[in-house]
Amino acid sequence: MTRSAPRASRDTPHVLIVGGGGTGGALAHDLTLRGIRVTLVERGEFTSGTTGRHHGLLHSGARYAVNDRESAIECIEENAILRAICPGSFEENDGLFVALTDEDMEYYADFVEGCKACGIPIEELTPQEALRMEPLLNPELKAAVRVPDATMDAMRMPLRFFATAKHGGATLYNFMEVLDLVVEGGAVTGATVRDQVTGSEGDLHADLVVNATGPWSEKIARMAGVDVPISPSPGVMLALYGRLCNMVINRMHRSGDGDIVVPQRALSVVGTSSWTVEDPDELDVPEDHVTRMRAEGAKLIPAVAQAGFRAAWSAARPLIGAMEADSGRELSRTFKTIDHAEDGVEGFVTITGGKATTLRGMAELCGDVISRKLGVDRPSTTRTFTTLPHTAFYAETERRLA
Amino acid sequence: MSEAGHPNGSSPPTRTFRVYRYKRGDPGWRFDGFEVPVGGRTTVLEALRWIQLHRDRTLALRHSCLHASCGTCGMQVNGREVLACVTLADTLGSTITVEPLANIPVLTDLVVDMRQLFERFPDEIGTVRTSDALPQASPPDGIETYERFEDCIECGLCLSACPVSATSDAYLGPAALAAAQRLLEEPRGVDPERILDWAQDPNGAWQCHAAFECTEACPSNVRPAERIMALRGTLAGGRRTVATVMPG
Amino acid sequence: MSGQELPGIERRGDDGPVLRKGVGIPASGWFDPRGRALGGFAFAVNRVTGLGLVVYLYLHLAVLSMLLRGESAWSGFLRLATNWLFLSLDVLLIFGILYHGLNGIRVALVGSGLVADRQKALWWALGVIGTITLAFSALHIYGSR
Repeated sequence: MTRSAPRASRDTPHVLIVGGGGTGGALAHDLTLRGIRVTLVERGEFTSGTTGRHHGLLHSGARYAVNDRESAIECIEENAILRAICPGSFEENDGLFVALTDEDMEYYADFVEGCKACGIPIEELTPQEALRMEPLLNPELKAAVRVPDATMDAMRMPLRFFATAKHGGATLYNFMEVLDLVVEGGAVTGATVRDQVTGSEGDLHADLVVNATGPWSEKIARMAGVDVPISPSPGVMLALYGRLCNMVINRMHRSGDGDIVVPQRALSVVGTSSWTVEDPDELDVPEDHVTRMRAEGAKLIPAVAQAGFRAAWSAARPLIGAMEADSGRELSRTFKTIDHAEDGVEGFVTITGGKATTLRGMAELCGDVISRKLGVDRPSTTRTFTTLPHTAFYAETERRLA
Repeated sequence: MSEAGHPNGSSPPTRTFRVYRYKRGDPGWRFDGFEVPVGGRTTVLEALRWIQLHRDRTLALRHSCLHASCGTCGMQVNGREVLACVTLADTLGSTITVEPLANIPVLTDLVVDMRQLFERFPDEIGTVRTSDALPQASPPDGIETYERFEDCIECGLCLSACPVSATSDAYLGPAALAAAQRLLEEPRGVDPERILDWAQDPNGAWQCHAAFECTEACPSNVRPAERIMALRGTLAGGRRTVATVMPG
Repeated sequence: MSGQELPGIERRGDDGPVLRKGVGIPASGWFDPRGRALGGFAFAVNRVTGLGLVVYLYLHLAVLSMLLRGESAWSGFLRLATNWLFLSLDVLLIFGILYHGLNGIRVALVGSGLVADRQKALWWALGVIGTITLAFSALHIYGSR
């Protein structure tokens, strides 16, 4: 991008997106396809907030089929769409939900019924069949159900949306931190930013500013004088040496800690736990959580117990709801678009909540709200638009996916 | 790891970090020094983020996955190419020097312009390959073979470590050549002649002089040097492949 | 600062500095021990010995040209060539020839894809052969005095 961000003109509505995670990238892509001029600013590298840190699960929705059917249905729909518009970005090996105890088996019937009700295609398996598919599973397993999970690269899949938006004309600035929002006469008209490449500060203006900062949503919203009920809810993940499974392995129970093992190239990632914090920039990696990941993961795949340590880290989910809940699991995982005109501030919209799997769907719904606000009468076309390969974000010459 | 002091009142042990700084428009680069609290498990990346949050918000650095899968946090720490997110600060001595990768233009501070890496790759990109883990497994119905992502995480450590790249910006480099060899090993619909044509560019496979620094630096088991040698073997008339070795 | 354009906003590093290992001259990075492993060390020494052998070749031709100047000039040179320092340079020369030759064999074998995954073992094996040969040569050279 060689031009500076111009002032918004009356002809082409200009949207400034704050936040370069999966949500921001997908929204930049959605709006660009509708002919809206987009500038996006991210304080660090794209996906360096929460998006890049997750274990890489492309949800089948089965985890939510019993407790949160709305989420489950969103997931399975987006699962199919993403495989189509981001070919080559997934290890399409499916996943297993594994029952280990009698208590797990009590959940089995509800689980199967929930998946069917949400339209999640499943296959019920005997322990022998499951062990043939995944030889390192706990041989004491009682039952398994195959689900259409898949593995993604947490950074590279969203990067395709950035690449496509960029080639479509969007202006994307990483290493540009928003210091404050510009509020004039009850409306947000832009943002004061610091460009980390030069060190200089200045203002960017737009017809509409979108807050897509995930767990930092509250911090940005306060700059406009509004509140957003976001609870940063971190969890610990553990990466171990060895590709101990090819399919995603899930524990069949109501959500708990350490109930998933996701293969990531030649590593296996065990996750995750949950607690809530005030500041998503100060994330600890509690040692007892790391120990618990290993112990729980080893119940699914015994080899986890002895596998070499590669890394342990935390990532903060953006959960919508009040701050009272201490564990974070009770809060909703669906997403929300908030038009702050309801709070008396024009020109400012927050999109928040959600998960990596639903980035495109979130962007479509938020894009609808934004288009309506700006008087742009075009629907979203991201559902069927094949994205460019992630390398297109950097390389200027065209590349083909093999 | 927070700003708060040690539970019994004393401050936590600190290390001196010398961090490379450059902003566009500066006459040149400099090193800034910081005293950073470092515990037994603190990674270099965590220490740098502590500096960013508590000492200097203008420090720019790349990171994303925090577990050696995205390849964005590559940098030189005490002169060695590493991924900062899996490098423990505790084992590095009392002064830790942090610089961006070599042989690639610096955008700002510890961030290099990754276009220079990606522009070198061949036109065809293979992202997904057959999985060789657990060969005794039988995939479920409808899945012919298990697949997995290629090892290369495009981190650029190999390009920074390569002594040929140190003196030649035209050299295609280890990552690109290794990627080409992977397409020969598993074509996935790509014409091998196109790959061999691309690789025998004077700045391609023949510019490698067997220093093997790329394989030493690679955090993801790509073994680029062995792959370049296999590529040269194929170009010279034989047909070579490289076995995958699981790290541990 | 409200309303000003931000200068230099492009995300391109074309005008940025490029770090090279070493001091000033890029090739000096070949000798930076931090982060260098066996292969890089072998590469660097190969280049030094290569340059050394080229210099030696020039000197050798210059010395041989003394034959054209008659017996007394050549005898003068022979007297010089038998002192300790000169003999030690001869040993150094043998080291250069052995290292460059044996490592060259290693590079040829490795570089054609034949033994790429055993390059370190090959270096040590040839190193043993080279060291023994050098020892014999040194004994012979000093013993001839």
